[in-house]
Amino acid sequence: MKLLNYIAAFSLSLVSMLAFAQPVEEDYYQMVTIPAPEGVLLEVGGLATLPDGRVAISTRRGDVWMVENPYMRAGEVPRFTLFAQGLHESLGLAHYQNSLFTAQRGELTRLEDSNGDGMADVYETVFSWPLSGHYHEYSFGPKIDSEGNMYVTANVAFGDQEWWRGESRVKWRGWTMKISQDGEMTPWATGMRSPCGIGLIDGELFYDDNQGDWIGSGAIWHVKKGAFTGHPAGLKWSDEPNAPVEVNQETFYSTFDERRIKDDGRAIKPANIQNEKDPLTMVKARETFPEITLPAVWLPHAILGVSNSEILKDETNGGFGPFAGQVFVGDQGQSKIMRVALEKVNGEYQGVAFDFRSNFQSGVLRMAFGKDGSLFVGETNRGWGSAGPANSGFERLVWTGKVPMEMKTVKAKPDGFEIEFTRPVDIESAKNPASYVGQSFTYKYHSVYGSPTIQNESLKIRGVKVAEDGMSVRLVVDNLRPYFIHEINTPGVKSAEGALPVLHPRAYYTLNNIPDGIKLKDSELSMRPKTPVKKATPINKPKPVSTASNSVLSDEEVKPLLQKNTCSACHKMNMKVVGPSFKDIAKRRYSNERIVELIYSPEPENWPNYATPMAPMPQVPKDEAMKIAAWINSLRSGD
Amino acid sequence: MKKLCIGILVSLVSHFLLAQSNGYTQLKLTDLSDFQSQSGNWQNVGEVTIDPYVDIHQENVESTQKRRKKNQPASRQAVMVESGSGILVNLPSEDKKSNLLTSWEHGDIELDLEVMLPKGSNSGLYLQGRYEIQLFDSYGVRNPKYSDIGGIYRNWESAPDKSYMGKAPLTNAAKAPGLWQRLQVSFRAPRFDESGDKIENARIIKAVLNGVTIHENVEIPLPTGGPVQNNEVAMGPIMIQGDHGAVAIRNFKYKLMHDLDTELSDLTYEVFHGIFETFKEVLAADNPVTTGEQSELTWEIANRDNDFAIRYKGTLQITEDADYIFSGSVGGQGLLKVAGEEVARGWRNFKGTKNLQAGEYPIELMYFKTRSWMDPFLGLKISSPTGHEKALSAFSSHPSSVSAVAPILIRPQGNQPRLLRAFLDFEGDRDRRITHSIGVGSPTGVNYVYDLQRGNLACVWKGDFVNATPMWNDRGDGSFRPLGMIQYLYLGQSVAGQIRSKGYTVNPETGFPTFNYEVNGHQVSDQVYESDSKVIREVSLTGVSGRFEVTESSVIERMENGLYTIGDQEYYIELMSGQSPEIIQEDGVTKLVLPIDSNPIKYAIIW
Repeated sequence: MKLLNYIAAFSLSLVSMLAFAQPVEEDYYQMVTIPAPEGVLLEVGGLATLPDGRVAISTRRGDVWMVENPYMRAGEVPRFTLFAQGLHESLGLAHYQNSLFTAQRGELTRLEDSNGDGMADVYETVFSWPLSGHYHEYSFGPKIDSEGNMYVTANVAFGDQEWWRGESRVKWRGWTMKISQDGEMTPWATGMRSPCGIGLIDGELFYDDNQGDWIGSGAIWHVKKGAFTGHPAGLKWSDEPNAPVEVNQETFYSTFDERRIKDDGRAIKPANIQNEKDPLTMVKARETFPEITLPAVWLPHAILGVSNSEILKDETNGGFGPFAGQVFVGDQGQSKIMRVALEKVNGEYQGVAFDFRSNFQSGVLRMAFGKDGSLFVGETNRGWGSAGPANSGFERLVWTGKVPMEMKTVKAKPDGFEIEFTRPVDIESAKNPASYVGQSFTYKYHSVYGSPTIQNESLKIRGVKVAEDGMSVRLVVDNLRPYFIHEINTPGVKSAEGALPVLHPRAYYTLNNIPDGIKLKDSELSMRPKTPVKKATPINKPKPVSTASNSVLSDEEVKPLLQKNTCSACHKMNMKVVGPSFKDIAKRRYSNERIVELIYSPEPENWPNYATPMAPMPQVPKDEAMKIAAWINSLRSGD
Repeated sequence: MKKLCIGILVSLVSHFLLAQSNGYTQLKLTDLSDFQSQSGNWQNVGEVTIDPYVDIHQENVESTQKRRKKNQPASRQAVMVESGSGILVNLPSEDKKSNLLTSWEHGDIELDLEVMLPKGSNSGLYLQGRYEIQLFDSYGVRNPKYSDIGGIYRNWESAPDKSYMGKAPLTNAAKAPGLWQRLQVSFRAPRFDESGDKIENARIIKAVLNGVTIHENVEIPLPTGGPVQNNEVAMGPIMIQGDHGAVAIRNFKYKLMHDLDTELSDLTYEVFHGIFETFKEVLAADNPVTTGEQSELTWEIANRDNDFAIRYKGTLQITEDADYIFSGSVGGQGLLKVAGEEVARGWRNFKGTKNLQAGEYPIELMYFKTRSWMDPFLGLKISSPTGHEKALSAFSSHPSSVSAVAPILIRPQGNQPRLLRAFLDFEGDRDRRITHSIGVGSPTGVNYVYDLQRGNLACVWKGDFVNATPMWNDRGDGSFRPLGMIQYLYLGQSVAGQIRSKGYTVNPETGFPTFNYEVNGHQVSDQVYESDSKVIREVSLTGVSGRFEVTESSVIERMENGLYTIGDQEYYIELMSGQSPEIIQEDGVTKLVLPIDSNPIKYAIIW
């Protein structure tokens, strides 16, 4: 048998040889699609593991399904029973004291099976909030703390004419509400735009938001009572007697122009101002309004998701692999899961985010750990488009027991960062400063939909110190910038055993605070040679392309450009994903110059059938944008 | 009864005005001059009241021409009439039971009328005297047949090639006996060739009963049972069956329709390539890439899908004087000139009217397109108030605009009701969206929506449950649409005060919910369920005082049998608990209210 395998392995093509050499996500985390009975549509809105190991799923269709044996032990398919039905687009589910709690559009509801027949017969309104009836008024949650308090978040509506502008038409849209078991509601915080993900981490409330107006990029916030996390719509209610937020909306808008522009009575959508001098950032705005809460961790748009969802701490104590205690964050548009490691510096949460697992069949909305440490993933894209081609899904992510070569975490240090690895590094590769590259950047704070990355600057890596056990390195950086997102890329680092590259080599650290402490001395570091060696390993860099500048790149040649500039996050060659396929763009017969223009200031109104507008991407270098544009136009055939 | 009469008058006047503007003719119903002579069972009256509990087969139908005296003992008659005009009524007897035929004939026709039937009655409306739309008291029927109201009746021929089995309505949209029911029919007469052979069957383009579509694009290949003559013709009178049972009709309007002979000829075109932003630029263009002649309008001559302009010129042949309606639809911008004058222009759609006498007119059409994200298309149609819409453009130039989304229709499974929360637009009005509401669909097809925010019943309907496509397709807007014959009640609280919804419990046996809410901190429990085609509401109020509003409308009348008729004989309320009701005027509406005492309030909605 072994011999046969050997022969088979030798007869494999070069491609699969490479596949052996390059580990992939599924080597470590395998996806299992959980079969649902035909006709059962699982557009998952809520997911909860019950104390007896069953999994409860609430769906957009208003059903709550109980899934027995979702682990498919003994090769048996899971059994689905209908526990409740008729809910109004439920977007959350939590189990507490023999009841299930769910946020419907207009209320928090308690579901109870009082006669023990397996079907809910009590649909009790715990607390009901007003709605204007706008489609975007989704409500999420609850998350339940140890005392039974429930946290619910509320999406904003959009303007009738100003369809791009988030509005809080009724109380408490744009807010987080805290609701007690007996139905008392306390407004908790505002600034929410599309707060699909809520998480209780070590008893503290976190939420994430999606890129949009006033939200330059997706991010995770630590939400203390009275926090204002950035979107000003909800400030409309800050003067209410029970509102804990002090920022007055009028004052806010008179300080920061919301750019309500009218031309001949018609509202004009504000566009990103290119080459803006000294643009407003959240940090700068906070100088005027100290209640502004900065994101603890930015999730750079289009890199780490486009529409962030569930926030879930790994409490499996290793059952789910080497990331116990860390936080997983879902993403609908990119159909993937990111990983976040938080730390407290100067008393505030901040931390680092990585890619973790992609290729779910639809948009990742909800996650819950099963009794065996595997992760249940509830999916839907409900009209917004997703990288995963299906409209819905219920999958399970299982750790294979193999430890991937990953940056386990990145921590801020007084002079840079400490990277911890999951496996010992190859010292030679790790101590070479050329094995690391990076940049720092931030986002604008404006009423425009999304923001380009701004003030980008390459990291000046002074030197590296590798720990004796090979499990961590200290990276000393000369140009740390407080509040900026620091991208750290480890293209040259290899594992000691197997010389594996880092599976997800990019870390994004949000450096709100730089800790005090002792800095490393130059004498402790391995530093770059004074005279740069030209041969220094250009790893993962795009292969030099043909020198003739007017020749169009091939599909293979353009790939690294599309990846680097995050185009491929939303566009694929032949298929509609979040945005139109490159082929469909080519059909528009734009000139190359026009495509470049549209990369820098997109006109989403040209694509009425796509729900998520494209953010301006002025950070794409002009020459690269031109190459991409020429390649796109080369995809048009036959005329 | 005064208010009711005024109500009818107002509605008659408004119908009349409306009728004039749409080219409809309204039968006067002040006399019977629109009809052929009959034996006297048909007459014009001012008012008809029907006791829905009395079956015409169980009583001796007698009309009381005189005004009823209030103290007269209730004689339990099915039909009572008051003299006057505006309503056509048939009260057949053994010797007088003629069918009623119009004195005029029709081919293609659009009909709009209201009909009222007593319990157990049977009549029919024969298009061209040959194709019967059944009029029948089908109240409470779950699965309607060809013989129920709105059904296309069968014939009784035995030869296979002569036999026609009729067609049941898509849904039973019948109201209860004694309520006015609106029937709208668009009918296309059979067509014959020069030798008189039929080349196209008669067809119901669309039939709508009480707002519910019951037939759409259905051919009737043969005369149905009991025609005036067993042949098929181009023109025939309408016949209303008079020998089976009592029936009342009002607001009878019709419009005779025909095909337009309008033709486009001498079409020439010029195509320009380039970026055009205004019609001025299109007019100024002088370098066509192609020119030519054509028989039909089509954008396809542009030979590209964006950045082009087309100028068409041609001759429009008009064979009859009329106000013509031109409606165009283009992917881009279009402009139409007829006889040298601009008739319409617009982005995507343009529409305009022009009065034309028979004759020939120059016509010009311009179309340009510079928005790459749209598909190119060009369609132009002409119609007149009595002339069917006719396409002047090629079929291939204008793809079908029908949405291809598969509808998401929800119905109860098994013997349990289906509960589903969604937004409901009250009377279809987005500005009156109920945001906290729940639909309850019973397996017997009797459904309702409860307004959880106000603690009130919002509407009841019969037929299929809901169309949830607006909520669940694509991003959705959170709302559903009731599917059957719906009766909206009113938007407001049943009990005044601060309402706090407590949700509902579901009875595990019946599956029906009991809604719980608080009014100013006091408990209210509200059961709403279906029974015998009615919706029953039972409300227990603990510690609540004041009054309970059952419903409101323009008019509320108490009938002699104890029922209340609501509105213009739209539905009934049957009070089932002992409180003394009051009809009051408040805020410009009439309300039916009950005092709240220690007993539960119970009533039925019958419609």
